Amino acid sequence: MPLDTSTYGLALLRVDGRRWNELRRIYAQIRTQAAADGSSYLEMGHTKVMCVVTGPSEPGPRRGAGISSAGGAGGGGGGAGGQSKDAEVVVNIVIAGFSSVDRKRRGRSDKRTLEMQSTLANTLAATLHTHLFPHSQITISLHVLSQDGSLLAALINAATLACVDAGIPMTDYVTACTAGSTSTYAANDEGADPLLDLNHQEEQELPGLTVATLGESDRVVALVCESRVQISRLEGMLAVGVDGCKQVREILDQVIKAQGQKMILEGTVDKGTGLNDMDLD
Amino acid sequence: MDARPRHLHPPHTTAITSSLAGITTRTNKLISVRPLRARYTPEVGDLVVGRILEVQAKRWRVDVGSVQLAALPLSAINLPGGILRKRTETDELQIRTFFAEGDLLVAEVQQLFGDGAAVLHTRSLKYGKLRNGVFVAVSGMGGGGGVVRSRRQVWTMEGANNAGKMDVILGVNGYVWISKHVETPKEVEQKHMGITNLEENVSATVYSSQNDAIDGDTMREIARLRGVVTALVENGCRVDEDMVVRGYQEAVEMAMLSESGQEDIYLGGERGEQLAAALRGN
Amino acid sequence: MASSQHVLLSPAELSYLHSSLSLTPPIRPDGRSPTQYRPLSAETGILPGTNGSARICFADGTEAIVGVKAEVEKTKRRWDDDAIYSENQPTEGEGQQQPGRDGDNGEESGSSEWVELTVEIPGYRDDDSGTIFLGQMLSEALLADGGFVRKLRINRRFHWRLYLDILLISPPLSYPLPLLSLTTHLALLATRLPKLKSEGDEDPFFDDDWAAAPYLYPRDPSNKQKVVERPPVTLLVMAVGGNIIFDPSKEELAVADVALAVSIGDDASTAQQIQGGDKMDVDSFSHGSGSGRNLKLLSIRTVDPPSRLTPPGVANAANSAYGHAQVVSSAGAGGNSQKMPEARQTESEAVEGVWKPPRGGAKAIVMGALVQKVLIRGGVADEVLDALEGVDTS
Repeated sequence: MPLDTSTYGLALLRVDGRRWNELRRIYAQIRTQAAADGSSYLEMGHTKVMCVVTGPSEPGPRRGAGISSAGGAGGGGGGAGGQSKDAEVVVNIVIAGFSSVDRKRRGRSDKRTLEMQSTLANTLAATLHTHLFPHSQITISLHVLSQDGSLLAALINAATLACVDAGIPMTDYVTACTAGSTSTYAANDEGADPLLDLNHQEEQELPGLTVATLGESDRVVALVCESRVQISRLEGMLAVGVDGCKQVREILDQVIKAQGQKMILEGTVDKGTGLNDMDLD
Repeated sequence: MDARPRHLHPPHTTAITSSLAGITTRTNKLISVRPLRARYTPEVGDLVVGRILEVQAKRWRVDVGSVQLAALPLSAINLPGGILRKRTETDELQIRTFFAEGDLLVAEVQQLFGDGAAVLHTRSLKYGKLRNGVFVAVSGMGGGGGVVRSRRQVWTMEGANNAGKMDVILGVNGYVWISKHVETPKEVEQKHMGITNLEENVSATVYSSQNDAIDGDTMREIARLRGVVTALVENGCRVDEDMVVRGYQEAVEMAMLSESGQEDIYLGGERGEQLAAALRGN
Repeated sequence: MASSQHVLLSPAELSYLHSSLSLTPPIRPDGRSPTQYRPLSAETGILPGTNGSARICFADGTEAIVGVKAEVEKTKRRWDDDAIYSENQPTEGEGQQQPGRDGDNGEESGSSEWVELTVEIPGYRDDDSGTIFLGQMLSEALLADGGFVRKLRINRRFHWRLYLDILLISPPLSYPLPLLSLTTHLALLATRLPKLKSEGDEDPFFDDDWAAAPYLYPRDPSNKQKVVERPPVTLLVMAVGGNIIFDPSKEELAVADVALAVSIGDDASTAQQIQGGDKMDVDSFSHGSGSGRNLKLLSIRTVDPPSRLTPPGVANAANSAYGHAQVVSSAGAGGNSQKMPEARQTESEAVEGVWKPPRGGAKAIVMGALVQKVLIRGGVADEVLDALEGVDTS
């Protein structure tokens, strides 16, 4: 939201017509790739990402730079290969050259990409029940097709969906969302409103953070803030972000249930027995 | 800074949360959830088809489509020369003459390691190296839970159109083997009425990598049967003996009605959908 | 020699496959005819932020996405030349410099630097040799005759710089070249460049209306579906024991005697005929696949089939785990009644039922037959190109 020409104060509407607490359109699909263990496709506004999960399976040879992993044989660089108590989560992000408005080629060892991979790997390793699969590896490949802000949040959501599709047990959904504030650091504006789900333009100009929560609870799994923001605004942003995460969770849960119902209708899986209206969480 | 992730403890509530998305089943006080899709988890007694991936000092590591590779110890196979032959060091050195990387075999799960990995054995006349046929993986394609568990996993069927008999092995792990029927030692012995030791007969041929001669008609029917299995999977049908046999009959009929007659064995895409619809009784 | 992915199959399976594909007619594992392509799903226009985009999924689950973006760039000029600095790219790949002709004759050529093509394969580094080689093969087909880069010229001072980003979404279990080539082809068909409103050599400015943007590969004015000249496409063809097989699956490649990656494109001269509508021969459109166009060969590359990397099978005669007892054998195994097999199998001897990886190169006659089958009018290549043309790119 451009500050100089900000019309926000007038009608309380953002550039794309949303109010401060409205999410962009989220569209998600699972089982997009039949041959993979788990796959998903997610759109948050114009940010489009695809995710493919392989595993849990036998760990491959130790890989070098460009891929971040978490869990398993902990700490630092090259330990001797992977006999470990837990499954290792390996994340690989490919940002396509055509994903942003200006075509920009990003190498595999781009710092921002590496950091996102690492955050994602740690988040998922903490949530997935990796202790059930010792000596194995879960590989998560993400492809970014289009970027319009909230990239890390979209990646986390897509990865969660794909892991559910792959049947990997986890504590609960990990859903993520961004939140920002309508004033910059310097403005010292007490009337600044927090904003939910930032697009690219808003991310460039306003302070913001990405927050991920666990299921319906308020427990924060990941929090990334790369901008300067006044400490007094932080709580407001966080509250809005967490609330947004819950909304995202509802949407993703619907997608999973719809797929399950579709599979029952097609006869691919049998209906459950002995239950009337118990909810799947 | 501690780089290791900490595991999150479940929330302090009394509500029961599932860790998977799937179908719930409740029997009395037990609630279980079967995931919509997951890798094969081995159980003791399962009949599986596997592919050798690694050869180690005294055992092989076998891919059975599950989370971990299964182990097949050298002591768990039938050695040529009879069951009672003592294992020698020569056997260890020549371990690849029995099974090498890439070989397919049918085996049974003998036991499970603590972490869920399977230990296999082929100590029976009906297990061993596979040849004279084709391999299909039910998992790894669209649709279905991937795992096939039914009453009968192995059977022989008649091929249509002048083909010989065909053997079908449906591994519980979703790996399927379709081959030309090879006479079992019992049948051979009945034919030749030899007094030779049964085990010796079997173990002599069981590690062969050489295919027997197979005629074109049988190859064609094997390809048709493979197409049936693939079509069942791609269209979300269950893959068990009943469906496969019915599917094959249906496919033969469909071929007779088509213009190229019995030569027409393609069952992908629309033809596969047609087959699945016919089987479902639509 | 291109590298291929190694598919793990047992010698018995390889031998069976080879025999099956060597029959007349060949019996393919999935029952297709030798010229039948696997069903695939294709869609275009999936990325609104690009000039053109396409996504193709094969039935075996492999999937690729290609996005095309263009930006205006100033053309480099030689210090001593009024005309545009031009580069001709003959098929062998050696650059030859020829002075460009004067602007008004319309004969300027572009430069292959105006096209940047990148390939991303999951799990492989950017500078992995296999990935780079794939990129080279794909761009080679596009730049072979210089006709493509000519389309990118705006005026004497500016041109379009085209970025093709090719993503393989699924892990590379089978040789991805045909999938990537088809997807690239489709994305190029769907690519549109903004309509030029400026004139002559002034700084270019364009019409904001995207609906007015013309296609990079212009459509036939009389028939909106037909493209005047089609972008190139690379097909994978293989030969086994005298049979020529198209669209090989990874199992079939594993037993190939020879495999070729053939790049073909429309013959520009026949394409010209189509543009001049009244000179069109009506009959040529009603034949066979409906194409009156000739295809020309842009490049051939031999692909090292994974069959060469497979371990050979061991014949029963040399198998020390075979025949330790008196064998009453079943059909056709060759009735080995020796106690201790002593015959040593020589490498050159072929035993029926035993897999032997192919050695040596391909015969020239076989290669010639392969290429012939690809180029024949109304043949497989035409079918593939026509099918792609039929995909809705609006």
